[in-house]
Amino acid sequence: MGLKETIKATLKEAELYKSQGLLNEARQKYNKVAQLIENNAQIPNSKSLLDSVKKKMKALDDSHLRVVSAPTTPVMSEKAQNLIKELFTFSKDSDKASLALEGAISLAKFGQYHRAIEEFKKLLSDENVRIAAAKNIIKCYYEFVSIDKAVDEYRAWKSSSLFSPVQLEKVLGFLAGLIEKSGKSFDLDKVEESAETVLMPDEAVEEILDISSVGISLEKGVKSGSEIELDVSFQAGNVISVIISSKEKELIDNLKIGVKLNNVNFYSPIAIFRGSGIISASTKIDSGPKKGDYCLDIKVTNI
Amino acid sequence: MAIFNLQKREIECKIVYYGPGRCGKTTNLDYIYNKFKKQVQGEMVSINTEGDRTLFFDFLPIGIGKIKGCEVKVQLFTVPGQVQYSSTRKLVLKGVDGVVFVADSLEVRREKNLLSLKDLQQNLKEYGLSISKIPLVLQYNKRDLADEGLPIMSIEQMEKDLNRQLKVPSFPGAAIKGDGVGKTLQECLKLTLINLQKELKWAD
Repeated sequence: MGLKETIKATLKEAELYKSQGLLNEARQKYNKVAQLIENNAQIPNSKSLLDSVKKKMKALDDSHLRVVSAPTTPVMSEKAQNLIKELFTFSKDSDKASLALEGAISLAKFGQYHRAIEEFKKLLSDENVRIAAAKNIIKCYYEFVSIDKAVDEYRAWKSSSLFSPVQLEKVLGFLAGLIEKSGKSFDLDKVEESAETVLMPDEAVEEILDISSVGISLEKGVKSGSEIELDVSFQAGNVISVIISSKEKELIDNLKIGVKLNNVNFYSPIAIFRGSGIISASTKIDSGPKKGDYCLDIKVTNI
Repeated sequence: MAIFNLQKREIECKIVYYGPGRCGKTTNLDYIYNKFKKQVQGEMVSINTEGDRTLFFDFLPIGIGKIKGCEVKVQLFTVPGQVQYSSTRKLVLKGVDGVVFVADSLEVRREKNLLSLKDLQQNLKEYGLSISKIPLVLQYNKRDLADEGLPIMSIEQMEKDLNRQLKVPSFPGAAIKGDGVGKTLQECLKLTLINLQKELKWAD
């Protein structure tokens, strides 16, 4: 094949690759043509021919640039988003909230984070999926907006009454991991449990055995370090009541509402469990044989 | 992960068209959508990006009628072929029952075919599936480009490259003209339904 035919055939090849969307392959062919022209200056009109090839190369490069710089996660139509939810929700027997959660996760995986966040937020009202929805909101903000936005969201939740302290603690643990990844630092206090919140239902302690007495180790005062054993007068779920004699003034002063008890021995008829609790109520008994004594409610937070 | 609705006597399975970028996966689905009107059960959805490249997937629901008293519905998907959309490919592959691997016959795309087949094997593995066990059909697409003067690989070479170990059914194709599209899908459906019958025993 002569030079002229080679150039013609290579140009045709380049055009065909271009029509196939094979831009790199087309570019290689144009390069070859340009080189052939440059190396053979005797070709009639070589300059205008080379200019024409270079124009084609430039147009190809522009197309290539548009392809590589196109957004990888453009916002899709609502219809397409609904289809993603439908097609990528695989659980068949789950409850409604779990299915909705899976659908929202699919949206997030396909980069549809605005809609995903909207849907996760709706799910925050459902106790069963609240933590998972919250973690996903945090993740979406971290991935698609910024870690700062994720922290702002957490702070807003912390100042609302939607989450129990245990739930907030879990979300905070997840957020802390992402903050570490981001390399930034934020001043986020640990979640404080208050008397108002400790009685909220949560998943910390679902079912505990009957507890007959507790052994508490105080961390300060004259009796610090030694274990004080108290009989349980009443138990409702994970809240136990103990009576403290009015003579135990130091003990009464130390065990105020909100105080965390980190090292508690819970004595049940079958075994001793080590765990923790929090003073959720303290009431002075006004009448009867125990008048003047104190009734303390301890919520078992971990056993 | 086909869904078998015992009450309705209905089975729904998922077939994914896999292959390197620009090999003709969407063209296969386009042809099915336009030519198999009776079987098509809804709109074809394509989510594309710049240059008509599939960004997330194409989706086409079809129905192939009753087989042994059971209505068979099929979801056809394509994956994005470009290398950078690996995570999307894996997402789309979830729950797959059968695969059509569309290979590009152009000589310049030989390596891309091999890489894509390897990618398929890896992604299936991550779902606990084996490329040698899943219903799989190969299509050697763009055979028509030889007529335009473009260098293409011989079928023998493509068999040697891609099908030496797999030994699965393979078909030459020119999806733009519809050549081999129906045969490829038909074979993949056959293998998929045989496999599902074994798993779900719906036709016993």
